[in-house]
Amino acid sequence: MISRYSRRQLIYSAAAAGMARLAAPVWSQSPTFTVKVDMVVLSFTVTDNKGRYINGLKPSDFRILEDGIPQKVSTFAEGNRPPVQIMEDGSVRPFQASETGDETRGGISTDAFVGTNVFVLFDTSNYMYRGFVYASDAIADFVRGLDRADSVAVYTFSRNLNRTAKLSSDRNQVLQGLRNAVAGDEAALYNALLLSLRDAAKVPGRKVVIVFSNGPDSASMVAPDDVRAVAEDEGIPIYVISTSDMNRDPISTGVFRRLSSRTGGKTFFAKTWQKQVEAFEAIREDLGNSYTVTYYPQPNPNEGFRRITVEVLTDAARRYRVSARPGYRPRTT
Amino acid sequence: MLRSVTGIALMSVGAVLLCAPASGWNESELARQVRGLEMNGDVRGARQMLQRALRSNPRDAATLALWAAFLDQRRDPGAREAYEQFLALPALNPDLRRDAGRRLALLELIAGDRQAAERRLANLPSPPVLPSASEAGSGLPMKPIYIPGPMRGFSRMAALSPDLLPNDVMGALTRNVVMNGYHAVGGSESLEQTEYLKLVLRYLSQARELEKFAGESRQIHLPECDSAQTGELLKILGFRMRGGCGADVVLETVNASRAFLSMDSGFPLAQLEEALRTNRPFSHDWSPTQIPVLYGPEYWLSARERFTGETIDAFLGDPSLCRLYLGLVKLDPETAEQVRQHMPVQRVRAFAHVFDFFGGMFQLRNGRVVAPGGERSAAAWADLVGSHPNEGVVFVEKLVTKDDGWMASYFDALSRISGPAVDYLTEPNRMKRFYTALRGRITSPGPARPVFRANTDLMLLTTRIHVLSDGRPHIPGGIDVWKQLFIKHPHGKYDGKLTRAASGWSQPDDVVEALFALSRKAVENEPLKIFLTLTDIDRRRERPLESATVDRLAREFRAYGAQYSLFTEAPSLSDATILQFMDAASAVSSIRNNVMKADAAGTMQALTGLWQVFVRQGLLPAAQADAVLAGLVEPFTTRIRNDQDLFDAGRDGVFALLKATGAPAEVNPHDRMIDLLAGAPDARDEESLGLLRTQMLRVFEAQRLVSLKVIFDLSEHLESLSRGEKLNTALLNRLASRVSDLNLPKASLTTTEKNSFSFGYWTERHLDAQRKLNFRAVIDRAGGNAEKLREARGLLAPLLRDTLVGLLYIHYAPPGAQILYTNSLFARSHDFIGIQGTQQTWKSTEVLGTGWPSSAGGRLVGSLSTLPYALAEAEQNFLIPSREQALIWGDLVPQMLVSAKLPRWWRVTPGQTHWVGLHLRLGEAALAEAALSPAIRTDVLGLLDRFAQPARWKRVAAHLEQAQVAQAIEQVTPSEFYHLGALVIEKQLDVPGGLHAKIAELANADPERHNHAAISAAFGTPKPTLANSLRPQLLNLRTFPTLMGYSSRILAETWESSNLFYAALSDELGYRPSQLNLLIPEWTQRTVEQIFATHLEDWPALLRSMHVIAGQIRTETRKSQALEEQASLE
Repeated sequence: MISRYSRRQLIYSAAAAGMARLAAPVWSQSPTFTVKVDMVVLSFTVTDNKGRYINGLKPSDFRILEDGIPQKVSTFAEGNRPPVQIMEDGSVRPFQASETGDETRGGISTDAFVGTNVFVLFDTSNYMYRGFVYASDAIADFVRGLDRADSVAVYTFSRNLNRTAKLSSDRNQVLQGLRNAVAGDEAALYNALLLSLRDAAKVPGRKVVIVFSNGPDSASMVAPDDVRAVAEDEGIPIYVISTSDMNRDPISTGVFRRLSSRTGGKTFFAKTWQKQVEAFEAIREDLGNSYTVTYYPQPNPNEGFRRITVEVLTDAARRYRVSARPGYRPRTT
Repeated sequence: MLRSVTGIALMSVGAVLLCAPASGWNESELARQVRGLEMNGDVRGARQMLQRALRSNPRDAATLALWAAFLDQRRDPGAREAYEQFLALPALNPDLRRDAGRRLALLELIAGDRQAAERRLANLPSPPVLPSASEAGSGLPMKPIYIPGPMRGFSRMAALSPDLLPNDVMGALTRNVVMNGYHAVGGSESLEQTEYLKLVLRYLSQARELEKFAGESRQIHLPECDSAQTGELLKILGFRMRGGCGADVVLETVNASRAFLSMDSGFPLAQLEEALRTNRPFSHDWSPTQIPVLYGPEYWLSARERFTGETIDAFLGDPSLCRLYLGLVKLDPETAEQVRQHMPVQRVRAFAHVFDFFGGMFQLRNGRVVAPGGERSAAAWADLVGSHPNEGVVFVEKLVTKDDGWMASYFDALSRISGPAVDYLTEPNRMKRFYTALRGRITSPGPARPVFRANTDLMLLTTRIHVLSDGRPHIPGGIDVWKQLFIKHPHGKYDGKLTRAASGWSQPDDVVEALFALSRKAVENEPLKIFLTLTDIDRRRERPLESATVDRLAREFRAYGAQYSLFTEAPSLSDATILQFMDAASAVSSIRNNVMKADAAGTMQALTGLWQVFVRQGLLPAAQADAVLAGLVEPFTTRIRNDQDLFDAGRDGVFALLKATGAPAEVNPHDRMIDLLAGAPDARDEESLGLLRTQMLRVFEAQRLVSLKVIFDLSEHLESLSRGEKLNTALLNRLASRVSDLNLPKASLTTTEKNSFSFGYWTERHLDAQRKLNFRAVIDRAGGNAEKLREARGLLAPLLRDTLVGLLYIHYAPPGAQILYTNSLFARSHDFIGIQGTQQTWKSTEVLGTGWPSSAGGRLVGSLSTLPYALAEAEQNFLIPSREQALIWGDLVPQMLVSAKLPRWWRVTPGQTHWVGLHLRLGEAALAEAALSPAIRTDVLGLLDRFAQPARWKRVAAHLEQAQVAQAIEQVTPSEFYHLGALVIEKQLDVPGGLHAKIAELANADPERHNHAAISAAFGTPKPTLANSLRPQLLNLRTFPTLMGYSSRILAETWESSNLFYAALSDELGYRPSQLNLLIPEWTQRTVEQIFATHLEDWPALLRSMHVIAGQIRTETRKSQALEEQASLE
């Protein structure tokens, strides 16, 4: 997962980095548009060849590369545990908010890395009419079962998005919002997903978006690829729980798979209530068994898509599989 | 009551005291200084100056009066207190005391504080007596029926706004049933309930079970989790408990349809679950809800129906009964009562559709029908209808039952208009003639039969016909043009009978009669569109278009008609330039290569679109507008043979535009263009301008367009290379990096999937060509050949097209836009060709591709002529309703967004916003005064009659008769208040409060800016459908209903309140007019997100939303202003 904070930014100048366009002023009088690379927050899971999560790995067990350039990791966290700071000599110590600055002035608080901000996007369009209440039950169970450190928001959508329950750690408040959802008409899934990602991007720390939908989109103006690009750039994994039969709508099935795999999430096809519960359980496990590192990217002339590689350095690494986002595009501001 | 000239001086406490002597401060000087600050937009400075003056002399009458008037004019909540302080002064001039006391009483009535007003008035010499408030006469007679359970659940299920007033609920419900409750089964006449209605009925059934469960206490009560009733309640709700009572208990669905109803209706399930988990009692009120029904159930239902079921079920089960209700509830109370008494319900029911669509304009006053044309036309109406208007309801009955609604629709259309057009159209002979044409020989189906009213063309014709000062209608080009058009139309005959008749036409009435005849047809009425478009072009021209020009425009309307708004917006265009534009469009259309045609059309349309913006903004001198447009289109008439020609035409066009706007020769063309599009290259408010520029540049960057500077530098560089100069690698890299970005994002679908589902073949070709563009390779291949290097500039033509098109996208980017920031190919993907066989190059802009995940997102297709609306339409669903179940309003919202974004307010002065604010305030004051003075009431209601429909007019009258000023104000829109204020001044009505004097002072101070024409241009709204122009203007029309073919789009164009309201709000809160460039889009977005409407004509919901948002803005702004003031003091 990649996220941004305003604590530090690298503004590459054409002169310093020898890059053609990066700092070329588009507007000579006031705004200057530059490529801005903020701190990168990357979450990933490590599994063995049987798909079991590998826990307990240390910061020194990993090497992070961007376009092949090794990165210097700033913080490291496992699951919902508090992060540790990686010192110059490779030693670790508890992460202190004060060392990174006051949050109100653009710094990062320790809390920002504890728990996950979960945005549940619930399809209440006509397509979901029959499964509406069962879906609501499954989401309610998922919300109740989240780690106490997690915050959760429930958004619903049909033609428009509705912030049914805003991001909160108060489960009752969220459930109240969820139970207040209203059935709608057309389905603008990708529009709603984009707006959810925009909201999630404003929140510091780890975040994921979980889409609960049966697939067909009848009203979106944005394409799934554009939405996926936003998720990639913002470092927000998309998990999809589709309540439709995967063979019935091959277009949506393909799109869902690509959306989730390219952002570090997963897609579940769960037609029955029981399968939906299991899907949510799997997502919860994913969240609880992930590693999160932060780093400031090393100078890199690539202003397009930067490929991220996570290498496990332990002896057993060959048997391990890392699930992480493939990369991101630095933001132009 | 007319006010005397000498009375004017006494009307304003503040004004009177401006010249009074006082100690400490020289009041005249103080007033002058305050006025100077206000005119400069420094409202805060003016306020502080007054506060300082008051601190130095808190009991000075003149200063206090000035202070009170200042606060009053700006709607400050402290105004009443200031007046009270003023009135508390000893030894006050009795006249001043009386005026101030009366003004304060009016403010109290406006605030809804009747008791305070009564006390205040009692202290005045010869006090006016407030009429008593009673329910009688306040509207239609209503009696309650009951539905089970709370209103909230029913509202949610029946899609009713929770903000509806109780008396409006049944009308809204019946409308929903008529519109959404039934659909035809197959091709038969029988109707079937829709899912919407089935759910409402199921909900009522569940609600009755819950009512039974609640028992006589009307409370759904569970004492504890383990109680005997828990299972029963959960069974009704469709849930069961998982886990035993205690912390682990969870509600889960056991009966999906019941659970759906429980959840969708908003039953407090979360609270119930929490109560069960904590083993606390659960209570929920389930008292029945009272819904007022017009005349009570006995009028609507037979005895048997009343005996066998609930009234609500009878309505839900019978769409014709709902239509009948809808028809009667729209009538003004007197008409409705007469109809009820005179016509048997079964007879009314047979014509419910006519009452529903056209009854709203029927008006009985003292037993007589108010008919268009008044006394002069009464006999003609008697002849046509078969009853004289003086016969009251007999006339109404005959009007409605005569010809399946044609006569009623004619009456309705003529009732809505005023001015010279109504004089012309209601001349008795014409009336009969035009009605005969409209009615035709076969009357069925009538205009009230379809779901939407089908008299759209009739309403457009009567509203937009241009009657000249000699009382004759303007016929563009003269009668011969129209004769020839009907006789020899290039696309076939419009109407055989009219074609035969056309050869004998000799008078304007002949043409108008033909247009009436065509207005009855359900098919596309092209002649009317041509007529109204050309009328609108001529409307503001000094010399009307020549016959030859009109003839060509009429004949080529089908191909290029969407472009004519360009001519409407610039009345100084010569016939030659207009014809040159037509030649150019025709030449571009004849380009065979579709890729090049798209580039040529895009470039030409973008250049003319930029010209249109600059003319509208006043950035391009009117004297040059014609020559510049001629210069822009001239190359496209013959010279576009290849990409080099196209590039040269585009580049020259850009420089011609820049030069005409006064740009220095060496200016950076891109910077200057952005500056111009922002609207104010020389704005004094750098902060607002900077923010607007930043917004625009963010979109430019997100669209990854190539700047004009880079494109032109590169073309110059190619030229220099051809002269043997050295290669500029940096410049090439810069362009290459911009173009290489086009590779992202790639489509995630396979080629097969894309081919199966996507569209826009020519757009893909356009994008692919740019993806493959490698300038370095082109230069290498040229190998120093001067001619080839020069030719290479042709490769820049598609890039230039995209940048120019993109600049217009950026200029019109609506508030809350997301696509423009997300889909980096959106502007580039504009499809100027369209789907094969549709020939959309010159048609209106349309949104295509919504909901096609494989299409790389939706895109805009067609020309750029209606780009602002299409962009807003594409982006509107990204607005996020702030309230549950609220629906973004299909056709109204884009128009609102366009009205907020298209105008710019850089040239608006503080005096102009104050002018608007004062007029709105004066309109309100007139209404308040009308509550106190019967004479004023008659005058004010006479003026209001021009705007409000009869039923609403009667409600206002009834409220005023009972001194319910606040309630009366709620019935009137801001634009109506503005026009009412203007009419109060024009008619010299005697409304105290000093507002007249203040407005007169503004008019004298700057007559060029402080007049209604200038305000119309500043705070009007674009009306592309109604006036064929994007030029902002106020037309002061009655708000239109929804119409077949346009839905609520014309309604939206007649909604002129938003910008006036926001202008007044900015004046009230002391914002600079230049800030409106950012604030109005933002406030509009918030207003849209707050709307909770029940149906497409629910403009009161929009009004409510505006007031809610204004309340929030007032609170936020005053809070921050107070903090700023505190900080500055510290």
